[in-house]
Amino acid sequence: MDILYLLIPLSLVFVAVIAAFFLWAVKSGQFEDMEGPAHRILMDDDLPEEGKRGAQQKSDENAR
Amino acid sequence: MSALPAPDPQHCFHCGEPVPHGASYPIRVGQDIRPACCRGCQAVAQTILDSGNADYYRLRTELPKTPEAALEELKKLQLYDLPEVQQSFVRSEGHIREASLILEGIVCAACIWLNERHLQQLPGVIAADINFSTHRARVRWDDTRIKLSDILKAVQEIGYHAYPFDTSRQEELFRKERNAAIRRLAIAGLGMMQVMMYAVPVYLADAGTMTHDIEMLMRWASLILTTPVVFYSSAPFFLGAWRDFKMGRVGMDVPVALGVGLAYAASVWATWIQSGEVYFDSVTMFVFFLLTGRFLEMNARKKSAEAAESLIKLIPAATVRLPGYPACREEETLAAVKLSPGDHVMVGAGESFPADGRVVEGASSVDESLLTGESRPVDKHVGSPVIGGTLNLASPLVVRVERIGADTVLSGIVRLLDRALAEKPRLAVLADRFAAWFVLGLLVAAAGTALAWYSVDPQRAFWITVSVLVVSCPCALSLATPAALTAALGRLTRLGLLSTRGHALETLARATDFVFDKTGTLTTGEFKLVEVEVVRGSREEALALAAALEQGATHPVAQALREAAGGNRRHAVNLRYVPGQGVAGEIDGRTYRLGAPEYVAPGRESGLRAGLTAVGLADEAGLIAWFGLGDALRPQAKALVERLRRMGMRLHLYSGDRPQNVLALARELGIEDARGGMRPEDKLAAVKALQAQGRVVVMTGDGVNDAPVLAQAQVSVAVDQGAEAAQAAADMVLLSSELSRLADGVHMARKTRVVIRQNLTWSVAYNVLALPAAAMGYVTPWLAGIGMSLSSLLVVLNALRLAKAPRQ
Amino acid sequence: MEATTYNYKVVRQFAIMTVVWGIVGMLVGVIIAAQLIWPDITYGIEWLSYGRLRPLHTNAVIFAFGGSALFATSLYVVQRTCQTRLLSDGLASFVFWGWQLIIVLAAVTLVLGITTSKEYAELEWPIDVLIAVVWVAYAVLFFGTIVKRKTKYIYVANWFFGAYIVTIALLHIVNSMAFPVTLTKSYSMYAGVHDAMVQWWYGHNAVGFFLTTAFLGMMYYFVPKQAGRPIYSYRLSIVHFWTLNFIYMWAGPHHLLYTALPDWAQSLGMIFSLMLIAPSWGGMINGIMTLSGAWHKLRTDPILKFLIVALSFYGMSTFEGPMMSVKTVNALSHYTEWTIGHVHSGALGWVAMISIGSLYYLIPRLFGREEMWSVRLINVHFWWSTIGVVLYIASMWIAGVAQGLMWRATNDDGTLTYSFAQSVNAMYPFYTIRLIGGTMFFAGMLLMAYNVWKTIAAGRVVNDARIPEAVHA
Repeated sequence: MDILYLLIPLSLVFVAVIAAFFLWAVKSGQFEDMEGPAHRILMDDDLPEEGKRGAQQKSDENAR
Repeated sequence: MSALPAPDPQHCFHCGEPVPHGASYPIRVGQDIRPACCRGCQAVAQTILDSGNADYYRLRTELPKTPEAALEELKKLQLYDLPEVQQSFVRSEGHIREASLILEGIVCAACIWLNERHLQQLPGVIAADINFSTHRARVRWDDTRIKLSDILKAVQEIGYHAYPFDTSRQEELFRKERNAAIRRLAIAGLGMMQVMMYAVPVYLADAGTMTHDIEMLMRWASLILTTPVVFYSSAPFFLGAWRDFKMGRVGMDVPVALGVGLAYAASVWATWIQSGEVYFDSVTMFVFFLLTGRFLEMNARKKSAEAAESLIKLIPAATVRLPGYPACREEETLAAVKLSPGDHVMVGAGESFPADGRVVEGASSVDESLLTGESRPVDKHVGSPVIGGTLNLASPLVVRVERIGADTVLSGIVRLLDRALAEKPRLAVLADRFAAWFVLGLLVAAAGTALAWYSVDPQRAFWITVSVLVVSCPCALSLATPAALTAALGRLTRLGLLSTRGHALETLARATDFVFDKTGTLTTGEFKLVEVEVVRGSREEALALAAALEQGATHPVAQALREAAGGNRRHAVNLRYVPGQGVAGEIDGRTYRLGAPEYVAPGRESGLRAGLTAVGLADEAGLIAWFGLGDALRPQAKALVERLRRMGMRLHLYSGDRPQNVLALARELGIEDARGGMRPEDKLAAVKALQAQGRVVVMTGDGVNDAPVLAQAQVSVAVDQGAEAAQAAADMVLLSSELSRLADGVHMARKTRVVIRQNLTWSVAYNVLALPAAAMGYVTPWLAGIGMSLSSLLVVLNALRLAKAPRQ
Repeated sequence: MEATTYNYKVVRQFAIMTVVWGIVGMLVGVIIAAQLIWPDITYGIEWLSYGRLRPLHTNAVIFAFGGSALFATSLYVVQRTCQTRLLSDGLASFVFWGWQLIIVLAAVTLVLGITTSKEYAELEWPIDVLIAVVWVAYAVLFFGTIVKRKTKYIYVANWFFGAYIVTIALLHIVNSMAFPVTLTKSYSMYAGVHDAMVQWWYGHNAVGFFLTTAFLGMMYYFVPKQAGRPIYSYRLSIVHFWTLNFIYMWAGPHHLLYTALPDWAQSLGMIFSLMLIAPSWGGMINGIMTLSGAWHKLRTDPILKFLIVALSFYGMSTFEGPMMSVKTVNALSHYTEWTIGHVHSGALGWVAMISIGSLYYLIPRLFGREEMWSVRLINVHFWWSTIGVVLYIASMWIAGVAQGLMWRATNDDGTLTYSFAQSVNAMYPFYTIRLIGGTMFFAGMLLMAYNVWKTIAAGRVVNDARIPEAVHA
């Protein structure tokens, strides 16, 4: 089972990466709002041919 | 594109209320015209549609409140642009500013979407995100391009209200604490799962199937994984133990720290010398479960603290002062902290009061829900006290400031809460002291076990000692009481019953007698029409006539009669007032008299119950009706008395009122022991007499006049709302005006006692069983860790039931 | 100048190719199913022999059909939930054309018999290198888009997609390590049981992260969107994500029960496989409960039917899988048709149906239409597919158990009751039912292609959707 000498250190590195990811997620506040993201994706209208007047206005204003 | 809601000419497009007949407030929706019910809805809906957020009407699942037509003047919002106002809640980097806002009026997820979109569309706003759980927004903007007042105004234009608030207090602190706890928990969880990966094969492998070098490899992997769990995740235990050690105490962190430290050190040693047993899996599992318990407890604590926190959130940062009032009405704006007593301030509709004070001009209704948990607005007129932080709803008021800063009701309540949290309940103190002795005993037992085993089987001595330490760690014992109390207190605070002393809840659970110290507790304290005895004609007719006769008068009887008559008022002429007697006047050509019995119908007795003020109404033909006026019962007084009696409480009413009033009230409510005309010292004696019989007395009162009696009773509850509550010496304060909360309190207290007993029984029984088993060597450290952690977890989960306990 | 629209081009390309490769892959599947009944159906042409078509089938359905579906959905979801355009249009094109090239090369080499003979990793080293390059480009594209997101929170679907992208990269690179001999021949860097262990560490996690985690990402976006309701519990979805990823990694050895692998390693695989039920079912319940309060939508909305039935199959096969990893069950099921049935309840029931549902949601939005050309046809497709899957797995289930029992049946004197050929003979009726089921599923894909064609043909001028608003002034 010499292969374990590769697989186990590899998995330790992997765990460290996962842990780093998790710590980053906590730090950046990903777990602070446990409801918002679920609603937010629904509030994003993705039906085609939608007049996005607000966005248009804003970009006009910004262009000025 | 799925369509907007179908056109409905009867109901407002924005708020869904029926459109009043003849109202015309058209809203342009693309090519269509939709109706609105009022100018407010029209303006708000048009703003939403014109900014391209028509989707709001498609996405929403709840209808919003009808917005007020009059928006706050920009001038007032501009107060928030003042640097001295901003300094408490705005963070700035150059000309980039950031603030937290509380949003009001949020009813569903679409509201949040709308606000977020709307804010983000404002030129100059860099970022705006709203937390769905807390309804708080974080906004970043470029101060050279947009002012905070413009942002607040933009929120108003779409029908919501935004207030900046100061996050510095506990919010930020808690956020950090929670994030640290999540990190510790995650590291421990990750470590536990991975170490288990390497531990399980060793347990599974039949002799000889796993070679020595592979086993060693797995040990090293486990060692690497366990190290952060011990040094990072378990840091709080080591720090706690070290603190205890320095202060010469023995707390529950000591055996945890010892157990984790010893097991880890020994496993590292075994890994190094390549022989013996390793218990990395036990260490990580132990730490993970312990942290889980603590995490749950922390969330419960946060929930209790939140109730208090929300009280201080809404004090406005800026205010409008009228320096020349009443001579001139010139306004100036300044930071609320700069107010001093005696100042006059102008508080517009939709604004919060900056301090405690008294209304000197205007009439309005005020939302005091923040303080009392009651959503019904309270009417305020000249002379009414107002409380800083509550919300003026209807129309502008001029208020004379009476108390500011630390003297206000809100600060007082916050102090009381802090006191309650700081004061350890006696039970918890006892449990702690017991746990300290227990830990000492445990250490002795562990040492004894070590010695005994050392002489019998030195090889096993070490691990058995570790098992004893881990398995019998009194975490469950120490958690049993505080966890239950925290959960129950949080729940009660949310219901509007505040505990200001640590012992209140446990004593309340033992209470046998409930003393009401005055009639005012059970009555509304307002002069009202309580009873009508009609001699001739109908009740309505009699009331209408009486109201007509009292049309211009301001005395309490007149007010009560007018209020009872409601809208259908007749018109009286030729009113003649007879001082101290009553009034006579003509209605539709007939002459009526209204007033004292001697004046209206000499020699006739009313059949009204005792204790009421009788007012008669008569015309030329004789008596028409008697009106009985007096203090009306509070709506829930009867229910409260009934519930308390069903709980086995003996009820008493000791009042300074006239005896017949008191007796009448007691009869109506069914209180057996009612005495009137009592002076404070009489009350004190009566309570002492009860206590001499071994009764545990709960005393309700207003908390100021009756300080000695309140102090004598085992538990005192202040029931008067508002200003007095802050000075109360009482153990508990009823903020809600719902009397039945008192019964909820007793119910909750008893339930808490049950839970504490269950918890203590469980943890003691567990230790009694586990300790000997471990000492005899039947328990591996691995099992010990599971046993101990699960027992703590069980205790915390059991306590958490209280936070959710439904009201009776 | 900041982009004002999303990059829908690459999503459109992958969406169309999903349908195309689905038809190709499933057609090959139907052919090899027929070959098992009529071995001479391809007239003995060596390029079309079973041994060469079988890896073509698996590669085509997993990496061409499933892969394209994942590229399409992940690149769509990441843009929409991050409210920003993809990091780079050039990179997006590179990923699309690179992946298509890989598929074509795979189809050619496999038919020619060029293979490493590692299951699900049959492609030879030049193609492996190309895969690695395209995959890294994909990772840069995906994570780069996340980095430049306009929203604070990273929606949970992206967590799942992200884990899949990272893990597949690692798995592919480690497992494909080989010494090249010629352009078309290489030797694995690992030998003997080690190679088997690495191969099944790869094989299992390819299933775990390619066919499960990634499609869960799809589920976490398209089920709430189609149902118009937020996911049942966002908190649960986060817990689901972390536990699934922690545990999945370790269940690999269950593919090697009763092999030269040490006993403890086998038992370990079994234990972790059983533990997998918890997060798997957590995810399934989370998805299905999203509909709570809106169950009525299920009656009228065939897209939602696809998604929810897919979740049901997911729940079923994630229960079946751990059961099959129990050693005693495995003793019966291993090497029988039961395994094929299990794989297809996951592959057709879960992977294909969730992809089809998601595509029906996507296509109209990508081509400027409000809905598919014919909703009725979606409904027909749904029923054909469902009946097809049920026929398929039921027949394979019975076949597998029968096979297992026949193989282990012994006479009193200890000799085998049945010869191997007898057990093969007993399979004919089940193979026939399987062929019918598979053909129904395949025919459903043709219906879909027609529906998609009509939808696109009737589409107006295609505009990419606008990004809600450029927040930065």
